[in-house]
Amino acid sequence: MKDFVIITDSTSDLTLEMRQQFNIEYVPMQYIIDGVEFKASLDWESHSVKEYYDLMRNGLRIYTTQILKDTYLEAFQNAIDAGKDVVYIGCSSALSASIKVALLVAMEMKEQNPDAGIYCIDSLISSLGQGYLAMEASRKRAEGLSAADTAAYIESIKLCVNQCGTVGSLEYLRRAGRVKASKAFFGNLFGVKPLIISDRKGQNFAYKKAKGTANARIGIAEHIVEAANGVYEELFLTHADCAEEMELVKEEILKRAPFKKVTVNTIGPIVGASVGPGTVIAFCLGTEVTIEGNE
Amino acid sequence: MQNTLDGIGLHQLFTSGYRNLKKNMEAINDLNVFPVPDGDTGANMVMTFGGGLQAVSETESHVGQYMQGLSRAVLLSARGNSGVIFSQFVHGLYRGFAEKETVTFADLAEAFACAKEDAYHSIIAPTEGTILTVIREAAEFLAENAEKYDSFQTGFDALQVQMSASLKRTPELLSVLKEAGVVDSGGAGLVCFVDGICAHLHGESPEEIPDHMDWSAAPAPIASNFGPDSRLEYGYCTEFILQLMNYKTDLAAFDLQKFTDPLEQMGDSIVAVHNDGIVKIHIHTFTPDMVLGYARRFGEFVSVKIENMSIQHSQVQTAVQKEKVKYAIIAVAAGEGIKEYFESIGASYVIDGGQTNNPPVSAFLEAFAKFDAEHIVVLPNNSNIVLAANQAADAYTECDVRVIPTKSITEGCSALSMMSPWYDTVDEMVEEMSQNLGNVTTGYVTTAVRDANMDGMTVKKGDCIGLDGKHLMASEANRVETAKALVEKIMAATPKDVIIFFYGEAVTEEEVQELSNFLQEAYPLVDVGFVSGKQSVYDFIISLE
Repeated sequence: MKDFVIITDSTSDLTLEMRQQFNIEYVPMQYIIDGVEFKASLDWESHSVKEYYDLMRNGLRIYTTQILKDTYLEAFQNAIDAGKDVVYIGCSSALSASIKVALLVAMEMKEQNPDAGIYCIDSLISSLGQGYLAMEASRKRAEGLSAADTAAYIESIKLCVNQCGTVGSLEYLRRAGRVKASKAFFGNLFGVKPLIISDRKGQNFAYKKAKGTANARIGIAEHIVEAANGVYEELFLTHADCAEEMELVKEEILKRAPFKKVTVNTIGPIVGASVGPGTVIAFCLGTEVTIEGNE
Repeated sequence: MQNTLDGIGLHQLFTSGYRNLKKNMEAINDLNVFPVPDGDTGANMVMTFGGGLQAVSETESHVGQYMQGLSRAVLLSARGNSGVIFSQFVHGLYRGFAEKETVTFADLAEAFACAKEDAYHSIIAPTEGTILTVIREAAEFLAENAEKYDSFQTGFDALQVQMSASLKRTPELLSVLKEAGVVDSGGAGLVCFVDGICAHLHGESPEEIPDHMDWSAAPAPIASNFGPDSRLEYGYCTEFILQLMNYKTDLAAFDLQKFTDPLEQMGDSIVAVHNDGIVKIHIHTFTPDMVLGYARRFGEFVSVKIENMSIQHSQVQTAVQKEKVKYAIIAVAAGEGIKEYFESIGASYVIDGGQTNNPPVSAFLEAFAKFDAEHIVVLPNNSNIVLAANQAADAYTECDVRVIPTKSITEGCSALSMMSPWYDTVDEMVEEMSQNLGNVTTGYVTTAVRDANMDGMTVKKGDCIGLDGKHLMASEANRVETAKALVEKIMAATPKDVIIFFYGEAVTEEEVQELSNFLQEAYPLVDVGFVSGKQSVYDFIISLE
């Protein structure tokens, strides 16, 4: 059977170690600071985690760009040249237009290489939720599944990846405008934390509020435990330069549900630019997401 | 046992009477069926007397001087039929007390006689079975019995019994009351006023008086929709205050009777009052233009109010288009900035109101009717408004209405901050919104309006004071220092996570900055917010949660 490469992108928040272990590649987006473009590196090549989030804390607005057509062309071509198919697991289409570019590139390339199998999946999620899908694909590949079967499998479970998190300050959400929420969320609220899930459309959706940080932790834990619905395999946690807060969220979840494995990482520069420092997000596989934000 | 009272003592009696009147305002509104069911007698009496009390000097000890000030202030704030009669009642009391430095209960006999006279004179066609009857019978009772009582306490107790009985007889004298199965609303207001006075004389607060459950409420006025094909059924309730002008009329020779004669051709329910060159008129007329044109021959208007009585209390019905929503949040707030803030964090509509201006039930019903909502959640934001909100919720049949009994702006803010349109059920949302109310402490920084010795602190009139809602907690050289000390004390007692300052219109940006710096240093972990509340009385309203 034809081998395939698994490609994800800057929003997957996979560490170098994870990418090596699961043999996953990634295509980068860019972020722009003061007009200068930087590769949105999952390994923090240009700015350290602290440097990056301190820039935001100091009021700097960081802009991000989607993945360039050429970047996809090159990545997919390399695979084809090596005689491999491609499974690309991209950032939610509700958060980035990159996946649309990828689909276009794949279509064009197939016209010239009719035998090439290029499967582009809109993960409808980001951060380690997306990263988890890439690792899952890698496991299926190890089990001997083809690119097509792996892609079909990932499509079938992607809406079962549940997310719940909160931010350090509503200010960043207001500035970036990437989180879907009622108008009132962006009013001058004090001491209120939004609970942000990834909904059926892949939108980061502030669907509930919690009073204060401690209640927000409880809210996240309750949401995750309910979503996991008794199956406590893997828990994923990411944070935007607030490891201590993430530990507290972890404790709150593990108090309620004994997940067998906990994987943690920082939130990369792309997701980080829209949620801001102080954000903690938890993910797990569970029941299919039903909530759809529509305002 | 108070055998004599001075102006200050009288003010305390009246204040207590007023508080009880205000407490019963909604119940009184509901009784109003005569002359038209516009349901605002209670509100009018409260506004009338409240406006007077606010303007009068509470430190004037000479009874005559005090009453002169009160009488004039009450007249200027008089509104509505009963309000104007009430203001004339007060004017009569003033006439009876004019020369007195202090008064005894027996002096009330003469004062009530004058009050009766003035009240009857203000009405072109006096009707029995109204507040007039209650005043008249009280005056008759006092003429015979006032001498028997040597203390205000025993005297007012007897007067109260007499007036209550008089009120209960009003339906026998006026068929419209009997048909509706209610007592006269203006008379009920006056009895409430006297109840409040009795409470004070017994050392009780009006809030302790049981509600008047025996007044069966009139059916709610039927809201009519005034449209292109409607008939002008009731005409216009027209009220104005006219300043007589020297160049238009001879002030010294002005005759109110002659002035009002032509008005009788133009309308009915006329109430007319003349004091010191100011004429106040209330009239129900189909031709307000004629009334105003006529009146202007004698002077210039201080103010004019004209309301179509067919829609007087149903403006809601004329709303052009209703907004269709799952949840509508109706909050009560005063102060431009605070209102704007409430809207910015999710209130669908903010009713203007607060401590000094309790919105009537009708204001809630109007607000409810603006929305085509599945559920309405009400935040009254004042303990005196909770009742009106509950009554409105009970009365409203178009959709489910919940009242979260928030007792302050800060509690309302706490509740509203948890509102989200995505709760699965209204129960869940109300629970989330109510959850933290018990943890809200409110701080107020204002200026002392009198010298006081409270909670172990001595303050002088004009000092900056900080209160936690119940107790005097701090008093420093200026409002910023007072706010700091107040926050420190509250935080020392119970540490809080969030502090929000609503700063008043007098507070400067520099002062806000100074407070902000202080809080950042003193409580680096606390989430601190500043909102320009633009409120008047309090320099700072502080929410600590």
